[in-house]
Amino acid sequence: MRRAWRLQLSLLWLILVVTLAILAPFVAGEDPYRPVAAPLLSIQQHPPLGTDHLGRDLWARLAFGARWSLMASALATLVTLITGTALALLSTAGGRILDHFILGASNAALAIPGLLFAMLLVAAMGPSYLTIILAVGFGAVPGFIRLSRVLFSQILEQHFVEAARALGAGPIRIAIVHLLPNAAGQLLSLATTHFAWAFMGATTLSFLGFSGDPSIPEWGAMLDAGRGYLAEAPRLSILPGLLISLTILAVHRWGEHLANRTTQG
Amino acid sequence: MLEGLLTAWAAVSLTFFSLRLAAGDPVASLLSQGLATPEQAKSLRHSLGLDAPLLLQYFRYLGRLIQGNLGVSLYTQRPVSEVILEQLPNTAQLAMQGLLLAILLGLILGLASAWLRNAAGRLAANLAGLSTSLPVAFLGILILWGCRNLYLWGQTTAISPNLLAPLVLGIASAGPIARVIHSGLEDSIQSPYFLAARARGIRRGPRLLWHALRPALPAAVSLLALEAAFLFSGTVVTETVFSRPGLGRLLVSAILQGDFPVAEGLVILAALLYTASHVLSDLIAMILDPRLRRAG
Repeated sequence: MRRAWRLQLSLLWLILVVTLAILAPFVAGEDPYRPVAAPLLSIQQHPPLGTDHLGRDLWARLAFGARWSLMASALATLVTLITGTALALLSTAGGRILDHFILGASNAALAIPGLLFAMLLVAAMGPSYLTIILAVGFGAVPGFIRLSRVLFSQILEQHFVEAARALGAGPIRIAIVHLLPNAAGQLLSLATTHFAWAFMGATTLSFLGFSGDPSIPEWGAMLDAGRGYLAEAPRLSILPGLLISLTILAVHRWGEHLANRTTQG
Repeated sequence: MLEGLLTAWAAVSLTFFSLRLAAGDPVASLLSQGLATPEQAKSLRHSLGLDAPLLLQYFRYLGRLIQGNLGVSLYTQRPVSEVILEQLPNTAQLAMQGLLLAILLGLILGLASAWLRNAAGRLAANLAGLSTSLPVAFLGILILWGCRNLYLWGQTTAISPNLLAPLVLGIASAGPIARVIHSGLEDSIQSPYFLAARARGIRRGPRLLWHALRPALPAAVSLLALEAAFLFSGTVVTETVFSRPGLGRLLVSAILQGDFPVAEGLVILAALLYTASHVLSDLIAMILDPRLRRAG
């Protein structure tokens, strides 16, 4: 009973954040990218949330930040899901040499701690918002390959695959017609778990200053920018930090729920 | 052991090729930032051996790496190994203190959440879950802010950031340890040998610590290798939040400046340490768990 209550609360939060991201231009009221008033105005002086250290409207920035943050992690997850699934299928269906090569490369990448691997990719591509998406997305691919590879080989062992093979289906047909549809549910639940990781990763990377453009109101970058003003205006950091944490908590809870459902059948 | 070396080699190669293939060579970034003229770039390329074919560069790089030579920084011209060694103690200290705190906190939270069947136990489980969901950066900022307020209200004297940084790292890394201890304890509490210990009249405390905790430890130790990975990324963020000098800040600034040899050296160092910690944790798990010893 208590679990269900928490699940609904996290779902409600996710819907709220997504709605905020979609409706940002309508609810923001101000331009999030330019100064609209004096810097560091309090909540009373400039409702609803005051202004930041450059005089930009904090509420507008948080609202548009939902867009930037969610978009970054959603696109990164999409990159992981597509690349990871494609490579895992290739390594399952493409013969032994390819299998060894792909698994070897992903094991090598897994020897570099997750966030550092993403940072290596940032170093290779140069800091920018797009880089963060790609770095977080590709950074999670090796782990994704490993997990989905296990999934695929479990399906490969089942009788209907054997039957298809006996009927003369080639490896490509088996991969596309049998492996992919049967793994789809679990792949999606894997992607949900990865979304939480991607959200954490993307906000962390932009917190470290890798988004290239400081005017982008990404929540992680805002967490960093407000850091110098903890004395005058703690809300500049605390609010984006809270939004990030609550979103990660909600996605975690939802991912757990999905994982339980898919493993129970 | 051999497997560890192979993995380390593969990680080094991956680092080398991903940097060279994606971004050309280190000098290209200097050129694009307008920090070098084309003529300077040409002579710099020659002196760094970057005009040689990629494969030859790769073997040269491996050769130098074995001798502990990581090249020179593009900006300060100092050897990368010297820069890294200079900052290593700061980060090693932070990571060690953080790890110790994480183990302590993880043990306490894990034990409490498995053993106390009341509100305190649930609270411990929730705290452990929360610590994995809070971004390290936000946790650090929250703690900084909280301490500032306490200080302003006259509750405490000024707390040195040197104490706070390991605390943040420890809290952030405690969650997974607590979870593994918790599930390990749950398993052993339901097992027949635990019931047998109870039947023999062994009291609750010793029974928990000896009969339930001991079988749960090997899993927790293998997790420590994963924790090492988390510590690496954790120190990067913690050092940034608390403006502490160290390898993490070095890496961030190297990436922002495009100082490839430094970034490359740091990532390789992390990969080597990470692989080593995997090998080490396997060994410790084998010492703790006789079943693994027989299998290996």
